[in-house]
Amino acid sequence: MAMLAEQKKRTVRINGCVASAQAAKYADVDVIAAYPIRPYTATMMALAQMVANGELDAEYIVADSEHSQLSIAHGAASSGARVFTGSSGVGVQFAYELYSPISGSRMPVQMMIADRTLDPPGDFGSEHTDALSTRDMGWIMGWSCDAQEAFDNHLIAYRIGEDPRVLLPQMVCQDGFFVSHITGDVELPDTGQVNEFLPPYKHPYPLDPRHPVSHGPQIMPEQGPPLQLERARAMEESMAVIEQAHDEFAKIFGRRYDPWVEEFMTDDAEVVFFLQGAHAVTARFAIQHMRDRGLKVGMARLRTIRPYPTDRVKEVLSKFKVVGVIETNMGLGSVSSGGSLYAEVCAALYESQKRPLVLSFMAGMGGEAIVLKEFYWMTEKMLDAQRRGKIEKRTHWVGFEE
Amino acid sequence: MSYTELTVWTRGIIMDKEGRDIVNSISASARIEGKYAQAMENYVDNPDRTNCPTRKYCRVSDQVLENELTYENEHPNIVVLVEGTMVKGWDYMRGMPPGGTLVINTHYTPDYMIRFVPGAERLAQLVCVDAAKIADHKWLYYRLGELGLDRLSTEGAAERNKSIAPDIAAPLIAAVVQTTGIVKMKTIEPMIANKHAFQVALNELHIMPLNPVAV
Repeated sequence: MAMLAEQKKRTVRINGCVASAQAAKYADVDVIAAYPIRPYTATMMALAQMVANGELDAEYIVADSEHSQLSIAHGAASSGARVFTGSSGVGVQFAYELYSPISGSRMPVQMMIADRTLDPPGDFGSEHTDALSTRDMGWIMGWSCDAQEAFDNHLIAYRIGEDPRVLLPQMVCQDGFFVSHITGDVELPDTGQVNEFLPPYKHPYPLDPRHPVSHGPQIMPEQGPPLQLERARAMEESMAVIEQAHDEFAKIFGRRYDPWVEEFMTDDAEVVFFLQGAHAVTARFAIQHMRDRGLKVGMARLRTIRPYPTDRVKEVLSKFKVVGVIETNMGLGSVSSGGSLYAEVCAALYESQKRPLVLSFMAGMGGEAIVLKEFYWMTEKMLDAQRRGKIEKRTHWVGFEE
Repeated sequence: MSYTELTVWTRGIIMDKEGRDIVNSISASARIEGKYAQAMENYVDNPDRTNCPTRKYCRVSDQVLENELTYENEHPNIVVLVEGTMVKGWDYMRGMPPGGTLVINTHYTPDYMIRFVPGAERLAQLVCVDAAKIADHKWLYYRLGELGLDRLSTEGAAERNKSIAPDIAAPLIAAVVQTTGIVKMKTIEPMIANKHAFQVALNELHIMPLNPVAV
């Protein structure tokens, strides 16, 4: 296996797609399974150039569909390769059959997702429904909110997923356009830092004719429970590894992320937004402006949704009077009749002695940008609930109400 | 607060690089000058739309860009038409506040072109520059290889030729910077590959002063 040429630390201005490609290069991936779909395509284009230029020594395989793409990823990982793949929107859906087998055979495949709204409508904009619909398939999953975080999350996710205590695939998600197509300053590390953080990948039981093993054989029903329990345990036990990986990352790279929830201006906050992904960038500006007006508003951004940090979400959100969940996903006919994040928040809060009021905001649907005045509007709704001490309406479709 | 939006209209794929070079070089220069700046392509225009009108955006401000995630420039102060026939096509002036600048790559004069410009009363100036001639631009299709353009897709802005403005973007950048001062000449000039075309353009701008806005 050829090693990546040594690189010195430098800052470049790139978008989220290219940041993901750079991360795959720094992770020195062995196999890339590609199939184009907007908006993640640019990641695979950048990787194709890196392979063609000899910057990255990897097998670059163009599949005939996303289903084949994930099948290739599964097979390559089974042979012991570090695999990188990705998709967007309906592409994520077309590969659905493979998600459970990959986590079930404990293959730490990594998949980059640049979110795209599912059809209908034919829309390039970001909704998180594509990735979220696979959230219970045994993949570690979380969202980045800018290009630097996307780069970092890819490295962190490999480190977590390939840890022998975990061995689970990872979906490293970023919003289409808001991250994938917006350029930001990204610090590319020294190769030495990456080598220190991310050891070469070694699967304990790869497919190898010299040492025959079976992967994914047919089983009898009575063998099902222990297998499923093992996968559930792997997910649970990954939580400690996730925390360790973030600590280690901070030590080596100097950027510290809370693995679970980023809190922004929450110290004395009474009403907070709870969200994932790039809208946090605009939320921070909105919160600063509202703070100037004396409003006690803050934000808690979920960074990892699988495994779901139930206790942490409970602990963080119990401090507040009102929580406004910004969904950016469709949960048709779900608990809140809006998005699926609401139910996750409420379930975490159920055991709390001090439960805040929880509102669900359907905002950013179809990938529409959530603008400052919409954050102000949502804050008014939260303050209104705080004044009344109860929820008048559980779910608000932003832009469709007074 | 000083905030400027620049929107470049160009032709999909065959002239995408020209458009990108304009917004990328101006945004990079503004950042060198300590301003906040962003350059991006219109997200919906981005896929494979050969010859269709496509948009490239630049935002320059002395304060942090809080609208960084919005898809389009809503109120462009400066509009550039990379290809002259686009002047008749559609309302590229939409949203322009009074005091704007329109730059067109054309061999016609502003006197002739102004009749096609919708809402020209919002313009402080109309600038015509024969960028194709100044850059000794033969014929786009023949020169694709030379320009290093990716002919298959605009997704990912994949130029093989990394030099900025080797071609007709150079006179257009000169026209924008000279007539609007969006960035300093001395900051941007070192980035431009076709320095000859850039310099020649500075003396061959046809500027029609229109309705200035009192500052």
